[in-house]
Amino acid sequence: MQTVEYFEVECPEALGAEYYKQIANDVLLDHNLLKVVDKLHIFIDPKVPIFVAVGLLKKITTRIRVGDFANVNPQEGKMTLVTSDETYLAPMLKIFWERFSKDKVEQPDRFTVILYNVPATPQEIEEIVVADPSESLHKDLIYALRCIAPEGFRLRSEVFTGTKFTFVASENTLAEDIGTLVAEKFRLMGEVPP
Amino acid sequence: MTLVPVTYKGGIYQHDIVVDLIEDLGGYIVQKHIIAQEVVLQCFVPREDIELIRQISRPLFGDVTDSPLVGTEIAIVSMSLEIHHLPHPSCDIAEYVRRLGAKSNMVSLARGPGKRIAGLNDEERDVINEHDIAVYLMGNFETCIEYKIPTLRRGIEVPIVLCGGPDKEVLKRIINPPVDGYVGNVGRFMRRTKEADELAKLDEIIDEITRVLEKKREEIAKDPLSVYPARLMGLIREQVPEILDVTSPTPLTVQMAGLRVKLPYDTFAEKVKKVAIEDGITLGEVAEILPSRMRDYIIVRVLPFSETNIAV
Repeated sequence: MQTVEYFEVECPEALGAEYYKQIANDVLLDHNLLKVVDKLHIFIDPKVPIFVAVGLLKKITTRIRVGDFANVNPQEGKMTLVTSDETYLAPMLKIFWERFSKDKVEQPDRFTVILYNVPATPQEIEEIVVADPSESLHKDLIYALRCIAPEGFRLRSEVFTGTKFTFVASENTLAEDIGTLVAEKFRLMGEVPP
Repeated sequence: MTLVPVTYKGGIYQHDIVVDLIEDLGGYIVQKHIIAQEVVLQCFVPREDIELIRQISRPLFGDVTDSPLVGTEIAIVSMSLEIHHLPHPSCDIAEYVRRLGAKSNMVSLARGPGKRIAGLNDEERDVINEHDIAVYLMGNFETCIEYKIPTLRRGIEVPIVLCGGPDKEVLKRIINPPVDGYVGNVGRFMRRTKEADELAKLDEIIDEITRVLEKKREEIAKDPLSVYPARLMGLIREQVPEILDVTSPTPLTVQMAGLRVKLPYDTFAEKVKKVAIEDGITLGEVAEILPSRMRDYIIVRVLPFSETNIAV
């Protein structure tokens, strides 16, 4: 957990807290979320029962551009793109088809794309934004927190504001003053509640 | 003659010698798997003849090991089929038990998770009761386990081995009345069991299951069964040939005091009842043939000697 600045699990049962710390670590690792979470505080009280997760996200500004995963080789009348991995190949082709039409884009094999007589310079092609991983971040984080929370806790309240997030779950109706508890947990991390 | 459960592993070449030998010695083969060039036989053999089987199978590079779980059907009771419990730990445990010869079925509860909302319905209860033993996989919090276990064990008549996050001593303290076995520090986790300490935990579960089953075996031995369930396998296979067309991996599942026949009850119950054992004694006289709650299968419960006065 080197990349997460603050990571605590608070629970009246010491052993339970230890297990949940392990679960949270495994789930965030599996979902590739460790590098985007900056601070995370989990509070579980099985007696109430309630599960609260509050935290802070790092700012992600990295957008994936064509140049990040492909080499653009300009030749006469055409450009050959050699990609190293296929992760973003499908969204890239979709953008090319829309921008240059299908007859100017050819894909002879898995790792090669050829553009014929396109009205763009190699630099412009390299700068095209293909994907923005931060778009699905909140969705992924909610899914991960649902995996971490005990399964029976099906009544949930999720709040995501910019870089701060709150996830509260219980099997009973959530208390009206749940905000106080959430604010308290944010203060434990040394943060102001959203 | 005491029959003991063992696993034979060896090459496929001339393995029929071993099969014939086991049958000639009066043993029974419960399951036979052929995996590529290897044969795995799960069988019951007379205790005094194990050395003989070892000797004869030595030139074939065969290996005979004790597997106390052969001939048992175990219910692995998972609280749900959600990502929270699957594939770890439920599948890991079910698979490990299977590796030692047991037939394990995963019973997942419709309303298992949670504390107040947890419940067990009649179908789940009956399905669990059709097994030899139930292994309950609980969560990490003692508060929740203490609260929900009275609901989840209501009506369960088979021995229960309870696995949970808290320590074994804590589990023993909070479960009242006590269950038959406890394994602590195995709650919910989200990683594959592959490290040495995790595998040691799985072994601990196996030891606990074996201990509880051993106790059950002793109970059965006090009032022996009218017929040995593994013996019925061969008889049913001969006299109800339709069982050979069933594609399920174990069309006849041997239990400690019975047998699950994976044929529809309505069509085949009468035929199974009429299976002749020897000297004109039929299966219907020494066993109850009941409809199973698992699909439309037949469950055969062999009656003890005290009830039938017959021993074949």
